[in-house]
This record gives sequence, C-alpha cells and structure tokens, in this order.
Amino acid sequence: MMTRLSNTALLAVTCALALVLGVWWSPAWARNTPGGGQTSGPDAPPVVHGLAPLPGGTRVPLGDRPPGARKSEGGPSSVIFPQQKLTIRHNHRLHVKQLGMACLECHRRAATSRRSSDRLLPSPATCDRCHGTRHGNLVAVQPDATKLIGQCGYCHRGYRPENGNRVARTLLPRPHLRFNHAVHHDRNIRCAQCHGMVDNLELATLDQLPRMRGCLRCHGMALPARGRAHKECTTCHLTQRGALLDTELGGKHLLPPRWLRDAAHDADWGERHRKVAGNDSAFCSNCHSEKSCSDCHDGRVRPRKVHSNDWLSLHPIAARQSNPRCSSCHHQQSFCVGCHQRTGVALSGPYGNFTDRGRFHPPKSVWTDPPRSAGHHGWEAERNLAACVSCHVERDCVRCHATAARGGPGAGPGGGFGQRTSPHPAGFRSRCRIALRKNARPCLVCHDPADPNLGACQ
Amino acid sequence: MGGESVVKAVVRRTLGILAALVATLWSPLGPRTAFASHTEVDTTLDAQSYVAPSPYGNPVVRRRRFTHTLGLGYFDILDDQTASGPQLSLVARMRLDADFGQSSAERSPNRLDRYSPGLEEAPFDLMYAYVDARRYAGGWLGGRLGRQYQSDVLGWWSFDGALLRITTPAYLRLEGYGGFEQRGGLPLASTPRFSGDGVYRGEREGLDVNQWPSYLDESRLAPAYGVAVESHSVDWMHARVSYRQVINRDRVLATTLFDTQADPEMVDEDRVSTERVGASVILMEPDLGSVTGRAVYDLYNQVLSEHAAGLSWNLNERVTLSLEYDYFMPTFDGDSIFNWFTHRGMTTWLGRGSWRLARRVDLSTSAGVRQFHSEGDPDEHAEQLAQSTATDLNRSQTGTVTDVLGSAALRYGWGPGSVLVNGRGEGGGSGHSLGGDVTARQRFAGGYFDTLAIVSLYDWHNALRAGRDATSFGYVLGGGISPAEQTRLGVEWEHDMNRLVGQRFRVLGTVTVRTSR
Repeated sequence: MMTRLSNTALLAVTCALALVLGVWWSPAWARNTPGGGQTSGPDAPPVVHGLAPLPGGTRVPLGDRPPGARKSEGGPSSVIFPQQKLTIRHNHRLHVKQLGMACLECHRRAATSRRSSDRLLPSPATCDRCHGTRHGNLVAVQPDATKLIGQCGYCHRGYRPENGNRVARTLLPRPHLRFNHAVHHDRNIRCAQCHGMVDNLELATLDQLPRMRGCLRCHGMALPARGRAHKECTTCHLTQRGALLDTELGGKHLLPPRWLRDAAHDADWGERHRKVAGNDSAFCSNCHSEKSCSDCHDGRVRPRKVHSNDWLSLHPIAARQSNPRCSSCHHQQSFCVGCHQRTGVALSGPYGNFTDRGRFHPPKSVWTDPPRSAGHHGWEAERNLAACVSCHVERDCVRCHATAARGGPGAGPGGGFGQRTSPHPAGFRSRCRIALRKNARPCLVCHDPADPNLGACQ
Repeated sequence: MGGESVVKAVVRRTLGILAALVATLWSPLGPRTAFASHTEVDTTLDAQSYVAPSPYGNPVVRRRRFTHTLGLGYFDILDDQTASGPQLSLVARMRLDADFGQSSAERSPNRLDRYSPGLEEAPFDLMYAYVDARRYAGGWLGGRLGRQYQSDVLGWWSFDGALLRITTPAYLRLEGYGGFEQRGGLPLASTPRFSGDGVYRGEREGLDVNQWPSYLDESRLAPAYGVAVESHSVDWMHARVSYRQVINRDRVLATTLFDTQADPEMVDEDRVSTERVGASVILMEPDLGSVTGRAVYDLYNQVLSEHAAGLSWNLNERVTLSLEYDYFMPTFDGDSIFNWFTHRGMTTWLGRGSWRLARRVDLSTSAGVRQFHSEGDPDEHAEQLAQSTATDLNRSQTGTVTDVLGSAALRYGWGPGSVLVNGRGEGGGSGHSLGGDVTARQRFAGGYFDTLAIVSLYDWHNALRAGRDATSFGYVLGGGISPAEQTRLGVEWEHDMNRLVGQRFRVLGTVTVRTSR
C-alpha cells in the first residue's frame, strides 16, 4: 500500500515538475504551436486539441458547418459578427461525445437569453465542477495542481506560471443583430440547426456562427410553414431611424450578399442598381430611404462616377449612345433644351439664328434636304429620338412636317403632308383612332380638324 | 410678368433661402433634448463655379451655383420599437438651386436676343414630404400621404397624394394610389424620371402668350392614379404588376406655328398624359442564381415600350456570371408630337461577370452590343434612290446600327480608404467613347481628415460632328475635415484639358451637417 502511494506521489510530483519545466522551458516547436505552445510536458507532444475546430486547422467538412455555409465562403459576415479573440482551449467533441455532456450543461443561459448581447459562454464556475479549479474569486483563482486539466495553462492559451492570476482576455464582441435564443429554444430549435455539428468539432470559432442563408431556411419559408419566424429583415437586423436597417456597424458597411436578389453591391453597382430597384424597390427600402436616391440624383453636384472627365464636352456622344440613362435625372425639354438654348446649341431660342455660326449637324443637303439619303436626319431620329428631343422643341419639327393648314410647307397631296414626308411610323393608321380619342393635341399640332387624314382616324 | 407673380416669386424665393439658413444654423446649435422618438435634420450646401462655353465659342455660360438641400425627419413617432409593430414617420426634403452666374438679360422677356424662357435664378423645390405609416392592423395596412416617390417597373415617378398598401396573408400585396403628378419641379431630377417628357412641364405662370411661343401653356394639376399587385413572403420569387394613368388638364397651345395665323388654337379637354401597364418578375434560387424579366406596355402609344430579361448564375460565393437583354423605346407625354414620329427602340445585349477576387478586392466586367434600329434600311434606300427606283420608303426592311460596348471596374477597399479603377467604352457607326478613371479615397486620423484624388483619361469621336473629337485628360483633388460626427467641410478642385476647351476648371466647396436626437 505504501509502495503504491509512494509511486502515486512520485508520479504526481514528476508530472508537476514536468509541467513546471514545460511551462518554464518552451522549446521552439512548442512556441510555434498555435495558441502559444501549450504542452503537457517537455517531452510530450504539443497540445493540438482544442485550438481550432479540427486539429491542425484541418478544414471542417461542409456537413459539420452551420446550415447555409458554403465551400468557397470565408465564414459568416464579418460585419455582423466582428472578429473575436479566443484565448480558451476547448474541445467540444470531447465534452459532448466522450463525456456525454449536453450543450446546455455548459451554455445554460442560452435557453433563456433574449438578446444577442447576452454572454452565453459558461461561467468559470461551470468548469470548476469537473476541472477541479476554483474560479470563485477571479483575482485569486486556485488551480488544481494534482490534475493536468486543473492547471491554468491547460485551458488558458498562452498562460505562463509567472503570469500569476493573469490570463489573456477572451474577446467576444456583441454581434450586430437581434437574436432571441429563448424563442428558438422554446420552439425546439436545436443548437445544431443554427451552429452546425459543433459536437464533431473541437474549438467553436466564428465559423460556427449562423449564416443568413441558414436563417432563411425557416424565416424565408412560405407563410403557413414559417409560423412565427418573421420574414422582415428587421426581425434580425439592427435598425436605425424609420425602421431602416443600420448599415454602418462597427466601422464596417453592411451590404447584401451576392446570392440575395442579385443585389451584390459590386464595383459596377452604379450601373446596375436601376434594374434591381425597378424590379423590387421595397427590397431596397429595407436599407435606403429616398435620401439615398436623392444624394446622387438631386443634381446638387455632378456625380463623377457617371459623368467623368470633361463631361460637358463628352456628353453629346454619351447621349447618342445611351440616352435612356440621361432621362433618369434630366428633363429633356427643360434641363437639356434650356442649357442648349442658352449656349446656342438649339434651333429655337435666343441664338436660334445660326446662319453665321456654322451648322451643328451635317450639311443641309445631306441632313434635311430631299431625297432622303443614308445620312438624312430621319434615320438618326428613328434610331434615337430621345437624343433629338434633348435639343429640339416641337416647333422645330413642325416647321417642315406640319400640313399647310397648320403653317407647314404642305406640299403633299391636297396640302396634306409636309414636304411629302409623313413622319408617322408603319401601322400608324391602326393606332391613330385610339390615340386621337385619348389625346387629340399632338394630332392638332400638324393637322387641321377638317383634315381628311385626321378624319380617317376618327 | 404680372406684379402679383413677381411678389409671389420673391416671397417664395425668400422663404426658401430663409428656411435653408435657419435650418443650417439650428441643426448644429439647437437644444438637445432626449426624445423617445427620433428626429433628424440634414443639410448640405455646395458652392461651385465653372464655365460652359458654347461649342461655337460664344456665348459663354458662367455658372456660380449655390445649391442647398435640407432634409427633415421625424421617425418612430409611435415609439414602438418592436420589429413588427406599427410605425409612423414624417420625412421631407427640399432643395434650393441658385445660379448667380446668370445674366439678368437671360430672364428678361424684353431681351429676346438673350431671353431663355423658364430660367430662374434661385428656384426652390420641395422634393418630397410625406407621412409614412407601416404595419398597421397587425401588419396588414400601410400607406403614405403627401408628396412622395414611386419607383417600380414604370419608372421613378412622384406625385402629391395618398397611397394605401394592403398586405394580405395570401402572398399578395395590393397597392392603390391617387393624387396629382408632381410637375414644375427643377429641370434636373424632378419628376417624371426615366421617361422622356417631350413637352415643357415647367412653370409658365405669369408669362404672356407671346413670351413662350415654343412652349405649352401654364400647368394645371394633373390627376394621377395607379394600382399595383405584388407578391410578398415568397422566398423564391417576387413579381409586381403595375398600372398608372396621368391626365393632362392644362389649357395648351395646339398650333405651335400660330404666329402665322390669326388665332392660336388651344386644347383644354381632359386627355391622357401617360397610361402604362408594366410587370416585373425575379425568380431566385440562392445556390444557383436568378432569372429576371420586365415589360412595359404603353397604352396610349399602343407599343411595348420596354422589355428586358436577365439570367444570373452564382457560380460560387465569389463569382457571378450573367446575361442581360434590354429593349427600350422612348415614349413621351401624351401631349407631345414626338410619340407619333417614326422611331424604334434600342436593344442591348450584355454579358457580365463579377468576381470577388479577395476579401477586399472585387472586379466587375461587362461586354456586349447595343443595336439601334430604323424603319427601312438607310443604305438600301439610298441605293434605290440613286437608281431612281424608289418611290417610297420600304418600311418592311429594318436598318440596324450596332455599337460594341464594354466596361470594367476593379475596386480595392481597406478600412479607411479605397481605390476604384473604372474603364468603359462604346463604339460603332456613330462614333466612339473610350476611357477610364482611377479614384482613390483615404481617411486619416479616425476619419477627421479625408482626401480624394481622381485621374481620368477619355477619347471620343462623334461621327455626326466632324471636328468635335478629342482626347481629354482630367484630374480632381479634394479634401475635407469632419469636425463632428456627421459633419463635413470639403473642397474639390477639378482640372480638365483637351483641344476643344483648352483648360477647364471647376471649384467646389461643400458643407454637410446632420444631426439627430
């Protein structure tokens, strides 16, 4: 008996000595160990467990990661879940699979937590029950020198005996979202349904936090199946004034993910946003008020992303190439025509008489005179009429295209067509009846009410 | 202009300037009392100076612009902070756009050599002002009252009136609105947007009929209403069908060449201004991508004025490839003759790729073609004319001019700064434009200082205007300080140089203040 006790004591002393030596003397290979080189002894292999989700930083199988995680992703949103600093070595697999512990045995407060800012890590006292340590007084924590698992350095990464009672602080910033663990727990949502198979892993890191795509498995369901899992963005996301999502979080900018409604705010978002907003502006209004639109569209300052370089010189070619973009901000008959008249680039207005100033368009013989050559203005008008309307007012066109009764040349049959050139498109006759009934004004600009051509449309 | 109108204009302008100044002074200095609800005032003042010379050399339009926007918000009035509780807010935004570079002669009807109808020195514009109610009656009811924007497949539009939104449990949301179309706002970015006007819709009040020979008569309220049905709470799809009609009630001139006649003819009955129905749909599968579609039918013009489709494939978490098709044919206000001029739309095919190359770097590129169509083939028609065989235009043929276009944007962002390299080009029968910019921004001292630098190089050629092609280099240097949260004072210097203008300069100063409590 004595011999057995002596051997046990000798073994304990040896282990303690080895531990002290191991902590005091850290060889290079131990210092390179992730987490500061925890070892169980100078000759023992380095501690590799509990430092990462899997030993050696092995990649976690997709099936063990939280629902919604994808192979090529880099973890959950770093805007929602700020960077953590984990200083505790912990092996969830050991605790759950080998020791048979349930998640709530350590994370007891998760069952009742109603706010995402609640601290749900087990209190040190929880660890004390098995590890033999005493964390009751945090300024005088007592390790259990008789057990390896009772040593400070066993769990606290980077711990040195000379640190005394000081250990590195674990930093778990509060996530930037609303979350009510209790509601989910009460509805029998299991931990793994949001956090993945943590019981197959060792250390739980940022990667074990939920993905939005995983949340939408329930919150995005159709109404009856969804139950009380509200679909509104504000269910989870923090809000600011007027129930808009708070998109400035911890110095970072919250943006929609690539897979959400094709709304990734990529480098070319300025070009693309119109299509997304046109399809579903309510989606945009989760984050943006009209102010977001007017900040760029209010004409206060020329937006250089759209109007670069010497835009005053460049804009004519841009207007010819992609005129619909112009009318997203500019009124053709006031903004465009107004400025063109002020600068003398218009047929009407104070500088309309440009005989001694040179033509803006190609020579009259090509641009306006009959017969209609390939360079005639009619072709250009057909291709991009909006560009014409940004300089010309109705009167400019009516001068030639109106019937004689309306002050035009009226050289057509019976004084009907101006310059024998009907500007109307093919199939116009089949449309003119409805058009005339809905609004007769444009007809009357060129046609007298007694015009037989007008009568044919009545 | 009558004396009453002058007084009204002066009063309106004075009130605008006073409101702007009072708000600017009040916002940072006002008392700070804690309220459960949330109020916000934001204001931005810009002063900029530049010149816009005529391409003929004269006249030279000198611009000394002072613009001021003021936004007011009173949010969460009911102080219900629950995520699904009712919400009531009040927001407004107004704008003053003064140009002190204008010559008074440009606004004088007595100076027909300089007079530019409709030009104002300091117009004031109420952009929007409405009460917004959401999630009433257990989430079923919502609505807005006041001047508000409406953005959907029919365009970005605004009106004065009321909107009611009913969210049913049957995946459908019904929307109905009525009021008056907002008209007579500033020529830049007032309404309607995304649609050509074709007629002047500005303020003509007080002008005699001979002072606006090219324009329509004064504006009267234009009744407008619309209905929409859209899906909600369907995870894989969103669709919206929308209908809108706007009625013109102005008394307008029909005979624009009335100076050749004794009595100008006027039209004053109610008539259609715009009447459109549109639908948009997006089908989504997050692991795969999305399919989008959009179409607008103009009931007045009786044409399908817009249709578009897109296919987007999320190759993985970092790469999206897409193919887009878009057809757009301009239509105009029902009063405009331009609706009935032969014109076709333009068709754009675009392939796009977007890559997140690294956590801080993303690249977007696109390439495609844009086609402009005409009714009849210009070359064919010219040839027939030369052979004297053409008696009339062969409208069964279609002429097509094709442009090739492409763009690339590379963005590298780090905490306090970013660099954006942006290049784009389009070229074809009508000419070309090709160039790019490099934009760098950096904040220092925790955001107290910020800087901006842009370098830009573009080359263009307009086939329709000989001698107006150029290669232009420009740069912008700017900086600012933020002495308090949401407050910034900044300046920018822009310098462009090319053979057309020689040197062009622009100086801009900005003050932004936002306060909330």
